[in-house]
Amino acid sequence: MNLPMLLSLILLLPLGSAVVIALFLRKRGNLAALLSIMVGFTVMALSLYVILTSYNPARTVYPAGSPESSLPSAAMQNWLGMAGPVWAEASHHWLQFGDYVFAMGFHFNNLSALMLLVVSFVACWIQLFSAGYMADDEGKARFFGGLSIFMFSMLGIVLADNLVMLFVFWELVGFSSYMLIAHYYTTDFANMASKKAFIVNRIGDLGFLLGIVWCWDHYGTVRLSELENIIGYHPGLVAGGAATGIGLLLMCGFVGKSAQFPLQVWLTDAMAGPTPVSALIHAATMVAAGIYFLARVFFLLPPFTLHWIMWSGAAMTACAGLWALGQTDIKKTLAYSTLSHLGYMATAVGLGYPQLAMFHLAMHACFKATLFLGSGSVIHACHHEQDIYKMGGLRKKMPITAATFLLASLANCAVPFFSGAYSKDSIISAAYLKGHDEGLIYYGVYALVLFGALCTALYTCRLFAVVFLGKARSEEAEHAHESGASITIPLIVLGLLSLAAGWTVYDWKWAGGLMTGLIPSGCAQVFLGGFSALEHTLEEKGLGHGLEIINVIVVLAGLAASYAFYGRSAAAGDPLAAKSPGAFRVLERHGWFDDVYDWYVAQIQQHFCDVLAALDKLAIQFGGGQVCAGGLSGLAGALLRRATVGSIHAYVYWFLAGVCCYWFFAVR
Amino acid sequence: MTSDSLILPQAIGVPFVAGLVLLVKGREMAPWLARAVAWVGFLVPALTALCAWWIFSMHPAGTPIFEQSMTAATPTQLLWRTPEMLFPFERDIGLGFLGLTLKLGLNGLSLPMFVLAGIVGLAAGIYAMNTSVDRPQAYWGLLLFIVSGAMGVFASLNLFYFYFFHEFALIPTFILIGWWGGPGGRAAAMEMTIYLTLGAMLSLLGLLALFFKSGAHSFDLVSMHAWTLPATATVPSGHKIFGLLLFGFGILVSLWPFHSWAPTGYAAAPTPAAMLHAGVLKKFGLYGLLQIAVPLLPGEMAGWSHLLAWLALGNVVVIGLVTLAQRDLKVMLGYSSVMHMGYIFLGIVCVSAMGAGGAVLLMFAHGLSVAALFLLSDAVFQRTRTYDFGAMGGLCKKAPVLSAFFVAATFAGIGLPGFANFWGEFGVFVALWKFSPWMTAAAALGVVISAIYGLRAVSRIFYGEPSPAFQTLFDQPVADLRPGERWPAIILLGALLLVGFWPGLLSRGINESLPTAYQDLRPSGHYVLTLNFISETTAAPTPAAPPAAPKP
Amino acid sequence: MDTGLQAYLTVAGLIFAIGFAGVLLHKNTLIIYMCLELMLTASTLALVAFSRFYGTMDGALFVFFIITVAAAEVAVGLAIIVALYRRRRTVQVDELNFLKH
Repeated sequence: MNLPMLLSLILLLPLGSAVVIALFLRKRGNLAALLSIMVGFTVMALSLYVILTSYNPARTVYPAGSPESSLPSAAMQNWLGMAGPVWAEASHHWLQFGDYVFAMGFHFNNLSALMLLVVSFVACWIQLFSAGYMADDEGKARFFGGLSIFMFSMLGIVLADNLVMLFVFWELVGFSSYMLIAHYYTTDFANMASKKAFIVNRIGDLGFLLGIVWCWDHYGTVRLSELENIIGYHPGLVAGGAATGIGLLLMCGFVGKSAQFPLQVWLTDAMAGPTPVSALIHAATMVAAGIYFLARVFFLLPPFTLHWIMWSGAAMTACAGLWALGQTDIKKTLAYSTLSHLGYMATAVGLGYPQLAMFHLAMHACFKATLFLGSGSVIHACHHEQDIYKMGGLRKKMPITAATFLLASLANCAVPFFSGAYSKDSIISAAYLKGHDEGLIYYGVYALVLFGALCTALYTCRLFAVVFLGKARSEEAEHAHESGASITIPLIVLGLLSLAAGWTVYDWKWAGGLMTGLIPSGCAQVFLGGFSALEHTLEEKGLGHGLEIINVIVVLAGLAASYAFYGRSAAAGDPLAAKSPGAFRVLERHGWFDDVYDWYVAQIQQHFCDVLAALDKLAIQFGGGQVCAGGLSGLAGALLRRATVGSIHAYVYWFLAGVCCYWFFAVR
Repeated sequence: MTSDSLILPQAIGVPFVAGLVLLVKGREMAPWLARAVAWVGFLVPALTALCAWWIFSMHPAGTPIFEQSMTAATPTQLLWRTPEMLFPFERDIGLGFLGLTLKLGLNGLSLPMFVLAGIVGLAAGIYAMNTSVDRPQAYWGLLLFIVSGAMGVFASLNLFYFYFFHEFALIPTFILIGWWGGPGGRAAAMEMTIYLTLGAMLSLLGLLALFFKSGAHSFDLVSMHAWTLPATATVPSGHKIFGLLLFGFGILVSLWPFHSWAPTGYAAAPTPAAMLHAGVLKKFGLYGLLQIAVPLLPGEMAGWSHLLAWLALGNVVVIGLVTLAQRDLKVMLGYSSVMHMGYIFLGIVCVSAMGAGGAVLLMFAHGLSVAALFLLSDAVFQRTRTYDFGAMGGLCKKAPVLSAFFVAATFAGIGLPGFANFWGEFGVFVALWKFSPWMTAAAALGVVISAIYGLRAVSRIFYGEPSPAFQTLFDQPVADLRPGERWPAIILLGALLLVGFWPGLLSRGINESLPTAYQDLRPSGHYVLTLNFISETTAAPTPAAPPAAPKP
Repeated sequence: MDTGLQAYLTVAGLIFAIGFAGVLLHKNTLIIYMCLELMLTASTLALVAFSRFYGTMDGALFVFFIITVAAAEVAVGLAIIVALYRRRRTVQVDELNFLKH
């Protein structure tokens, strides 16, 4: 089998599984779970196989047959250094009207290899976890069918060779996310959250759609490889109004899917779904797809767009980190943490380092999946209790969960030598470098992301301390015990990865050069170049160690302060809420975005629509339809009715008049 | 007579005869016999249409399907395809001296609509045969007349018969709404009759004017088209004729602000009639614009396009917002179908291959999805005895299959990829960008609006706990979908998914027979030169990319 | 004595006018009906005259048709009037005004 066929197989297996579940296994939850998990592991194995066997270090970076140096733009060379050579390219005409061709195909390079690995690897372990977590759920078949559909859609995004296909799968992940959030559809919260998630995503997709259409019109193509060619040789095209407009509109897709300002409101509500769904879709893969998309079309983004992404990302890093401190729901805390980390990735893209964004994406997928799965294990053990102030002291009762949660927490705070540290610290350093090179105002970005790092340490330590340390605060927590193997095995695998995945940067090659650290070389190439180039620049400017030390100090200070504040409290409520209710409330309302939107929907949109509907009823249906159309025919009827007098003689006169008329007009 | 095929007359005639038998003799027949007659009447057109679709996609233009069988002495070409059309049939049925020979045939534009009419007709028929109504035989008979007329409209290549079949299909609708309609049925039927007759009158005037002014002196679409083909041929006062056709057809399709008949009419109509009207009959006007007005009066769209585009935006945005305010499921569906007509008008406004293709795809897809939604909303009503959102909730727990189907149909309606609607809408947006980027942006707002009302309906009907008013109702067992409701829905959604996954099934035929009026539209005006330069450089062998292009 | 076409047409016109006046002025349906027949006869007379003077057979042919059709018409028309009388007990057109709205 050649590479495109293997990729097709990877893409279609989950679809097949979803179809089989929908048609035959609706009432057989266990079989559905088995099928879905088997397909998940097969996809993972196939992806690994593809990445290991098809990677060819000797492959030229740029496929155009011309040397890389012929590219006039340094930015493009930088991008190609990340995306790497194209491993496979295939395209099939799907629909054609006139000169427009919609195609389906693959554009597979290092970047997609990394994303493919992340998605398939995390997904299969989370599916295994779900088998334990959802063991006695009524809608098990529906759940696993939804996961399969999600896998299909997500892999489609990873492999897509053109923007239209990307949009198709982009919408499909939105649908699967909707379906999975609405899993517990009888609760009002899940009901509202699913609707909100889809609609908010659609608002982003509206911009994305227009961006694609404009891009097609402006550049004449939506194929990624052709766009690369055009921009590669004509970097001047990415300037001016149209390019900026296209960049901003394409960015809307990212803003919706990755829940960035101002569309971040859906992500925290999306936690109404089952915990594995939060782990897979709303932390590790789907929300990160926005970042992947930005990296994929990085060359299309003009400076203004990048600035927007950078500032909004940095602000989100800090704000979401703070807001996390105001949550008492374990999953919501983690959701704000996800928002904050997505902010880091966005900042990296905006700074011009998509490599680092992808690096952080991969690391984040490992440790955030672990954190969510750990929270799932805790929730499962506490009989679906999600309030952290009803937990506590779980360290002894759930040792494996606690240990893996600790590993992931440390990675989350970027404690040195844990995976998150490598990627996050390099992003913070890159932000400092921007300020150092380009002016004082960019130190603002550095300050924001550094503050975000402090917040991360604060909320992570708070979470761990309240949930696992101290004493049990409720009956459920008292009687909690460690979950079964199908829950702990994924925890261990992903937990170890959140410790060790980052060691790849030490460039330790094995297996004949196919593996670098714990990551296949083909994938690691994405960020290794960018990472070492940044290190090198920092070294040159004598900044490296200083920044490292500042980061470590901030993290340790945060951890210590948080432990001091939260770790000792045994109260059944948040210490901050007790000491400063006003401040806690500010954090809890997360910037009043939800309130403003709710107010808009209920007070403005609804009233506006009601008025329009009333006008429609009054002016058009009553006025136009009944008065004008009905009135005219009624009037004509009333007049003509007069003519029917019922006397034969009158009719004869009418007849005579008719004959005369005819004579007058026709014969004369 | 050399190239006659009885396929199309059969698709029109069988439902007509079956309907006639049911209307005249239905009450004296044994129930099973009446049912069998109705089945034949609904099945034959659907199977014929699918068969035609299959043959069309298997045989590119100009290839004979059955070779002339033995010798020249016995020219038994049963099925034949000329370059213009499939299954030509031409016969003088007594009006030949007026130029009114019955001429039937299908091309790539009419085939999707023909298939749509067959499928929706079958689904509506199955559903009608599984609901209990007063005087069922007459009910089925009238539905069969509608199906027959609809098949006739899309198959006829003669403007007179186009109009004739159109009226033939429309009149039973009024009767169905007036007689079997819900509360307010009479008034709704009257309003609908006034509007639609007005629209039909205007379009008849336009067609007659076209006949007299064009100089072709024929109602035959093919010869008229041949006459207007040369660039020098201009129809005198074409601008006015186009206006007549535009507004005549527009009223038939509920162009804003002539839409008010649609929501009330559909709310009152018996479900199969609403399915057929919203799904198929409403497409007559659009089909007329695409197949008749634009190709026969090339260039005249330019004078009307801005007005039409603004009115169509009124459909999408204004009616979209009005839909948001609805609190009654069936009225909401009526408004949403008015809203989606706007996209199709916008596709036609562009007068480009992309726009026309998108419009045809969207017509096909919308017909199926709206029929499915009307069917399922009636199924909801059967279980809850209300259409009011405020009183609903929590149905999913009792009827999971119904809710899964409803969710699927809703997502089809809001243009989720995987359903045919997506390709249509996307195509329209791509084409519309050439016409006006700002209008595209405004029209794209509809994507969000339809998501809001669609999901709101789903969440109010199916999700949550059963509402207090329902609680008593739900204490009795609520059945999930019965086979008589399930199969029509499966047929409709299956067709949507099929075309959604393989839009090429329809697009090739459409491309092939788009009249020359829909001039080519290049993707890029700006960088054609650049592209050429690039493609030269990329022409070098690329070791990284294997040439194989599998079908994913 | 030579009578021209003119004379025949004049007679036909007079008969037609008498018939028409009768239709307009009389109230009795039966008489109106007879007046209608008179008008029909006038037209046959004119047709026969044309046929005779132009030497073509068209007019004569039409007359045969008219006579046949008129016979049928009388049968139907009288039947209608009788039926009308049975139902309404009158043949006066003033009282037969149920077509009035």
